[in-house]
Amino acid sequence: MRVSPLSVLPVVLGAGLFVAYWFLPFVTQPELGPSTAAFVSADRDNNVLELETDGAQLILFGAAVTLIAGVWGLTNAQHSRAVAAVTAVGGVLVLEYFAVFFLSYRRDEGTYLAAMGVGFWIMLALGAVMVLQLALPRPQVPAEYRLSTLLANQESAIVVALVVLFVTIGLSNPRFLAERNLLDILQGNAYVAVAAIGMSMVIITGNIDISVGSLIGLLAIISGRLAVGDAPVVVAWTVPLTVGAGVGALIGWLVAYLKIPSIVVTLGMLSILKGVLIIWTSGQRVTGMPEAYYLAQWRPLGIPTPILFMVGLTLLAALWLRYSGLGRAFYALGGNAEAARLSGFSGTRLTMQVFILNGVFAGIAAVLYATQLNVIQPTPPTSLELFVITSAVVGGVSILGGKGTVIGAMLAAILLNTIRSGMIFVNVSPFWIQAVQGLLILVTVLIDLVRRNRQML
Amino acid sequence: MSSDAQIRAPSPIQRLRTVLFSQEGILFLILVVVVAVLAGRSDAFFTPRNLLNQGRLMSEVGLVALPMTFIIITGGIDLSVGSILGLCAVLLGVLWGGLGLPLGLVLVLVLLVGVLAGLFNALLIVRVGVPPLIMTLATLALYRGLAQGISEARSVTGYPEWFFRFGQGNVAGLPTQLGLFIVMAILAAVVLRSTTLGRTLYAIGNNPVGARFSGLPVGRNLALIYAFSGLMAALAAIIFVSRVTTTRSDMGSGLELDAIAAVVLGGTSIFGGKGSILGTVIGLVLIQLLKNGLALMGVTSDATIIVIGTMLILAILVNNFIQNRRAGI
Repeated sequence: MRVSPLSVLPVVLGAGLFVAYWFLPFVTQPELGPSTAAFVSADRDNNVLELETDGAQLILFGAAVTLIAGVWGLTNAQHSRAVAAVTAVGGVLVLEYFAVFFLSYRRDEGTYLAAMGVGFWIMLALGAVMVLQLALPRPQVPAEYRLSTLLANQESAIVVALVVLFVTIGLSNPRFLAERNLLDILQGNAYVAVAAIGMSMVIITGNIDISVGSLIGLLAIISGRLAVGDAPVVVAWTVPLTVGAGVGALIGWLVAYLKIPSIVVTLGMLSILKGVLIIWTSGQRVTGMPEAYYLAQWRPLGIPTPILFMVGLTLLAALWLRYSGLGRAFYALGGNAEAARLSGFSGTRLTMQVFILNGVFAGIAAVLYATQLNVIQPTPPTSLELFVITSAVVGGVSILGGKGTVIGAMLAAILLNTIRSGMIFVNVSPFWIQAVQGLLILVTVLIDLVRRNRQML
Repeated sequence: MSSDAQIRAPSPIQRLRTVLFSQEGILFLILVVVVAVLAGRSDAFFTPRNLLNQGRLMSEVGLVALPMTFIIITGGIDLSVGSILGLCAVLLGVLWGGLGLPLGLVLVLVLLVGVLAGLFNALLIVRVGVPPLIMTLATLALYRGLAQGISEARSVTGYPEWFFRFGQGNVAGLPTQLGLFIVMAILAAVVLRSTTLGRTLYAIGNNPVGARFSGLPVGRNLALIYAFSGLMAALAAIIFVSRVTTTRSDMGSGLELDAIAAVVLGGTSIFGGKGSILGTVIGLVLIQLLKNGLALMGVTSDATIIVIGTMLILAILVNNFIQNRRAGI
């Protein structure tokens, strides 16, 4: 196998970053936070610079991203375009660190600029090269590697949007990039992202489920009541999944075997579930669950469990949809139901299965939602189902069926929460947040559509 | 001999069967049964006073459900109507209370905003080709967000006396908005049944590409009905504000689902190409009377939404069953 020099570049860059981070003359001053790492020792004593940003970690992230992309590129030569994009993301992370650094540096009117170590300049150069990587021409198919291809699919478009948001908001308020806030952003919408996995599958098969918000609310209460009622914690966690699967089976049966359109069935189900929920709880919150119950408050390895669930389940679901027979069949059913039937797939069974799966994911989302706070509200957040559907749709899942990935849905769920959190950090009046969010949803959807139209030409 | 049977005019009994087993016929029977049962259970139910009051309450959803029927017949959907209602209600309050414009002018402006909001939906749906579900999902968030931003959680009260006529007054013995709804419903039914525009909507719903290739003005008609939807939402906003005498930015949230439920219960196919205003009106009345009747029987209002959800699924189920039987015979 012949390896082109360009495909080795990301590996070299990533490794170089790691080496630079650890061995170049950086000085970490713990009392000032890790972002001061780019200083050399000169004039350290009267250093008043203080950044709440955990800036230096961005370099590590960038290095890791680049290295992984590089190794991936070595083993899969045909993905070199994606590797270039990912390498650029790593570069943007590294460059962003310097942007954050410079901004607070200037604010403090320090005198260290000339004294900054060689590491600073090396890293800056590496970051720049990594971004350039994307624009570099490729010998094989040169025309395809222009910057415009960065927006080749909805997932990378959302990643770009995320990076742009993080850079711009981070520059105007570095506290936005503090580790705690980043974790909050990822954590806040994690259960929405989990529910969006099931929703994406449902939409991929050409159906829709608008009852998922009420279902999550109901399952959360079931889980909480069980925990309060001295059921073992594991039971309180798993019963919502099975009940969710049961409700999903009922919806699937009505849609698949009795041929009622899914939007009608779930519209009815929305009313039924909401009614059951309100009668059952009579507006009472559920509190007093045992200590061991709060699954979503655990932090194994310092990472909150909702994030682990979100990322883990999304990756699993993405691989499963991509490579398993059933996963491919969902795409086939949504793409062309008649062709799928003629190819030997049973549309009715697939529809049943996808709604059952959706119910299970709603169950997991419900457990995450129920355990994140010490009380469970009697009603789920308003228009939760719309948030879930919006995540899937903004993530590039085509409402006409047959297209989209769950990774896009997860990224979109993160994007929505980033927008919400970012607006607060740049002092947008809280009353206007939803308007900005609506506008951005519109913009992402339009980008997706314009791109698809262009691809068709 | 079979050809003779086909040519022969349908006998009265056959005609009756066609009417009875049509979507609207079945729904009407269900409605009669429901009313009979509810009237037997509660004395307060089947009184003119109560029924007229229910008519008052259902008019806002009703006004929105009329254009919704048009839109769903074309195979589209409009989820943004509730948010348009909220936006218009807030604008009404801000323009009158905040900027001090004369209320008459404000009402016109609000209706205009409704039309513009609908046209914006139509613009991207027609020109860019965004699926209606996604477009109106986005504007559902956008318009509601605008309403929240403009209102900043303030509510405006203290409207002049004449303004309350829309939501609380009577015209010729009927609640004003019910009269308005009946007029609009008749207009909408006539347009849908007997005008080129109406028939074009069915054509678009059955086969959009075919409709376009037949030279029908698909884009213009879609723009028209989405604008109509915005206009009706704005009108509903005025009535709503007049009825509850205040404006809040969360007004009308969930309205879109109520309207869609009425339309779908009325037999309009969610896939487009089939449906009628009469069905929508019966569906609307059925839902409202069920809510009210059950409440009078002492069922809590939360339990009634369970009944309505079940009703929605069952009605479609029964109808599917009967239509399949008829098609089979």
